[in-house]
Amino acid sequence: MPSSSGELSADLENNRRFSDLRGVQWRIDLGILPSSSSTVDDLRRVTANSRRSYAALRRKLLTNRLISKDESNFRGLVMDNPLSQNPDSMWGRFFHKAELEKMVDQDLSRLYPEHGSYFQTTGCQGVLRRILLLWCIRYPNYGYRQGMHELLAPLLYVLQADLERLSEVRKQYQDYFTDNFDGLSFNDDTDLSYKSDLGKGEDNTGIQKDEINDNYLDPKIQTIISFSDAYGAEGELGIVLSEKFMEHDAYSMFDALMNGDRGAVAMANFFSHSPSTQNGLPPVIEASSALYHLLSIVDLSLYTHLVELGVEPQYFALRWFRVLFGREFALEDLLVVWDEIFALDNNKLRGSSENESEVTFWILNSSRGAFISSLAVSMILYLRSSLLATENATSCLQRLLNFPADVNLGKLIEKAKSIMNLATDAINSIPEPIHSGGPYEAGKPKVHGHGHSRSLSSDVAAAASLVPESYWEEKWRVLNTEEDRKQVGLSKQVQNRIKGWSEKVKMLTKVSRSPVTRNLVDDIARSEKNEKLVSGNGGGEEENSSIFSDPVSPRGLASSNNMTNNNDHENETDRSSVASNSPVNENNPCLGPSPSPSITSERYCSTEDIGSPLPVSDVPEEDLFLKEVKNEDIIRKPMLNLRDRRSGKFQWLWMFSKTGPEGSSDKSEPTTSYVTDFNQKNAVPSSTTADETEKPEVVDNNNLKNLAQSMLENIEVIESVENLSKDTLEALKELRKISNLLSEM
Amino acid sequence: MSYAYLFKYIIIGDTGVGKSCLLLQFTDKRFQPVHDLTIGVEFGARMITIDNKPIKLQIWDTAGQESFRSITRSYYRGAAGALLVYDITRRETFNHLASWLEDARQHANANMTIMLIGNKSDLAHRRAVSTEEGEQFAKENGLIFMEASAKTAQNVEEAFINTAGTIYKKIQDGVFDVSNESYGIKVGYGGIPGPSGGKDGSASQAGGCCS
Repeated sequence: MPSSSGELSADLENNRRFSDLRGVQWRIDLGILPSSSSTVDDLRRVTANSRRSYAALRRKLLTNRLISKDESNFRGLVMDNPLSQNPDSMWGRFFHKAELEKMVDQDLSRLYPEHGSYFQTTGCQGVLRRILLLWCIRYPNYGYRQGMHELLAPLLYVLQADLERLSEVRKQYQDYFTDNFDGLSFNDDTDLSYKSDLGKGEDNTGIQKDEINDNYLDPKIQTIISFSDAYGAEGELGIVLSEKFMEHDAYSMFDALMNGDRGAVAMANFFSHSPSTQNGLPPVIEASSALYHLLSIVDLSLYTHLVELGVEPQYFALRWFRVLFGREFALEDLLVVWDEIFALDNNKLRGSSENESEVTFWILNSSRGAFISSLAVSMILYLRSSLLATENATSCLQRLLNFPADVNLGKLIEKAKSIMNLATDAINSIPEPIHSGGPYEAGKPKVHGHGHSRSLSSDVAAAASLVPESYWEEKWRVLNTEEDRKQVGLSKQVQNRIKGWSEKVKMLTKVSRSPVTRNLVDDIARSEKNEKLVSGNGGGEEENSSIFSDPVSPRGLASSNNMTNNNDHENETDRSSVASNSPVNENNPCLGPSPSPSITSERYCSTEDIGSPLPVSDVPEEDLFLKEVKNEDIIRKPMLNLRDRRSGKFQWLWMFSKTGPEGSSDKSEPTTSYVTDFNQKNAVPSSTTADETEKPEVVDNNNLKNLAQSMLENIEVIESVENLSKDTLEALKELRKISNLLSEM
Repeated sequence: MSYAYLFKYIIIGDTGVGKSCLLLQFTDKRFQPVHDLTIGVEFGARMITIDNKPIKLQIWDTAGQESFRSITRSYYRGAAGALLVYDITRRETFNHLASWLEDARQHANANMTIMLIGNKSDLAHRRAVSTEEGEQFAKENGLIFMEASAKTAQNVEEAFINTAGTIYKKIQDGVFDVSNESYGIKVGYGGIPGPSGGKDGSASQAGGCCS
C-alpha cells in the first residue's frame, strides 16, 4: 500500500475538510486536484489548468468541423465530397459525428427520467452532450457506448450540489447581514472574519490565528468561501466552485474516471470489447469472473449454486460494472457508494509493466478495484437466501438485477470492506483453470449438479496446514477438477442417527443467530440437499412447482401457513414481471416434495429463513460470539477430551452454541418449538421449520465433516478481518483445532 | 405454479426500437413512454395458455447497441423463440435486420422460432417502412411477421403468443427433442401426463420431483 500512515491521516483530514463538498472531494480522489495539505492556491492553479486543457480540447475537436469546411475549399473535391466513402474525409467525419450526436441525444433523452427536473433540462443535456461527444471523439477507440452517460451524470450532479451548497452558505450569511446582527446563531464578529476572508483573497483555508479565539467561523464555511473567491490565484478561472466551469470540471472528472488516472480500474475498460491481451477475454468478462472467483472464496455454496444453475456472472455484472452500480441504487445512495469507491486508492498493488501478466484479475489490482468486486460480492450475499431458494437461472438473474431499494447501505458497504482483503489476496491465488473453465467460456458450468464437489479430506488437510492461500487455491482446484468423488462416498455413508440429529438441529438453529455459524447450518443443509440430488430423486428444477404434491404433509401451523404464502408468491412471479423481488420465502425449494432422504431441503429452508433478514454478516456480533466462546472456556475442555468422548460431542456443541444446557432431549419436538419461537422473535415469516425435524433420518458423520469444513471456512473469513485482537486470534486458533477434531470424528 | 412447458425467448433489435416496452406491455400491461435504456440484459416472465396447456415464457430482453453484441452473444444460448424488433418510423432499424438475423442464426439453435415485429404501429403518420416491406423481408427469411404497438398494446399479446404457438406446434410435430435443453424448452410438471414428463431427464435436475 502506497499510503503511509502520515498520508493517511492527511487524507482523513481532507475528508473532513471537504465532506460537505462532494464534488471537490471526488476531484481530489480521482486525481484531478492535488490531495493532502495543498493550499487553496494550489487547488486553484490545478483547477485552472484542467479547465484550460478542456477549453483547448473543445476548441480543437468540436469546432474543427467549421474550420475544416473552410479548408476543404482548398483540398479539392476528390477527397472531400459528401459521397466519399473515405471515413477520414471531412464529410466522412461529419457523418460519423452526426451519427454519434444522434445516438448520444437518443440516450440522453432517457437519462434518469425520475430526476428529469434536473437532467432533462436543456442546459444539463447540452453539457452532458458536449462532454460525451468530446470524450468519444478524443478516444475514438471506444467511441460512445451506452452507459457512459450514466457514469457522467452523477459527476455533474455532485458539482451542481456543491454549487447549491455554496449558494446556501451565501444566503445564510446574507441573512445574517440583513438581520443586522440580531441573529443568535453567530457571535458578533463572525461577519468580520467573513469580510476579511473575502478581502484577503489569497488566504488559505486555515482559520486565522488571531481570529481563532474570539470569532470562530466554521472551517467548512471558510473553505467554501475561499473556493468561491474570484480574487485568488488564476482569478476567475481558479474559482474552485464555479458554475461557469462546471462543464470543464465534469469533463476532467469523467476523463479521470474513464482512464483511471493510470491506476488499475479504468472504467473505460468495462466498455471495451476487444479482448485484453492476457487471456483473450473482454475486460468486463474477466472482471466478472474475478467477481465469481471472489464469491467462491467467500461463500462457496452460493457460488456453486449459481454456477450449477448456469447463472453466468456477466449476465448481471456487465451492468453492475459498466455504470458502476448506477442502476442498482437510487441516486442518493449511489453517491454514497461512489464516495466509498473513490476514496480508495487506485494505484496498482502489484505488477509494474513487466510482470503485469502475472496479475490474473486486473480489477483486483488496486484497493479501489478490490472494493468494487467486494461490493458486488456483498450485494450477491445480501440476496443470498433468495438466490439459494431459486432453482432457476432466469429467476436468479431477475433478483440480481432488481436489487431491493430498501437495502441497508451501511451494512452492505461494511461487508464489502470485510471482504476486501480476500479480494486483494485473491489476485494471485488463482490457478489457470479459471480461464478455460471460467463461466464465460464454459457452455455449461463446469461444476455439475452434484453440489459440493470439493474433496473434504484434501480441504481439511490444507486447512490444517494453516496456510490460507494455499487452502483456497486447493479448494479452487478441487472445485474445478473433481466432481463426484466425494459424493459416491457420501451416499454410501448415509445413516440414520435420529438421536444425534435432533440435538444437532437444536444446536444449529440456535447457533444460527450468529452470522458465521449461520453459514455452517446452511452448508450442512446444502450438502444434504446435494446428497438428495445425488441419490437421483431430483425432480423438476423449475421453481418447485410441485410443492403441492408434497408427500410430507405440513404438520405445524407455521409450515402450512407457509405453504399458502408460497403458493401466492409463486403465482405472483408467474403472472409477472420484470421486477420480482418478493421476500425470501418465495419459491422456497424446501417445500419441494421430497422423497426421503428429504430433510435436507426443508432444513435448508428454515435456516435460510432464520438468516434472511440480513445475511450480511455483522462483525461485532462475530466478535461477541468469539468472546463468549472464549469466556466460557469451553474450547479447551472439549479439546482435551473430545476424542474420547464422542458420545458427549453434541452436548459440547450444544454448549458451544451458547444456548446453555437446556437438556438434550432425544426427540425432535422440542427443537421444533424452539425454532418456531426463534422465528417469531425475529419476525421472519416462519417457514417449514416445523417440518424440519420431522424426518430426522439422514444424519451421518459427513455432516460433522461438513460442519468442520464450514467452520474452517468461516474461521478463514474472520481471520481475514483486520485488527483482530490477540485474544480473538487465539480463540480462532482454538476453533481451528476444534474443527480439525470434528472432521476426524 | 405448474406449467407444461417453459420457453426461453430473446428480444433483439436496434436500440430504441421498443424492445423493453414490448416486454413491459406483455408482462405488466402498461406502457412507459420513457424507458431506461437496457444495459446488458433484463428479464421478464409470464404464463400463457396454449391448447389448454399452461406455458411459461421467460424472456431475455437484450441491449440493442452494437457495443454489447460481442459480449452478449451468449444470450442466444438455449432460446426457443426470438422477437426481432424494428421501428417502423426509423428506416435504419429495418435496414439492420439482416445483421441481427445473421447474429441469431449464428448463435442460436437452428430451430429457434423468429418473429419479426415492426413496432410503433401507432405512429403510422411517421411511417418509414411499409407493411409490405416487412412482410416481404419476413417471407424471404422464413419469419413470422406482425406489426405491433407497445403503446396501444396492439398485437403485443399476439406476437408473444403466436410465437409460443409455433414453438408448441414444432414440439407436437417432433421437431424438438424436448429433453435437450439447448432448444430452449423445458418440460414442466403441469399438463404433461406421466411418461413424457418422467422420461425427460432435463427436468429432473433439482428441487422437487415429478410425481
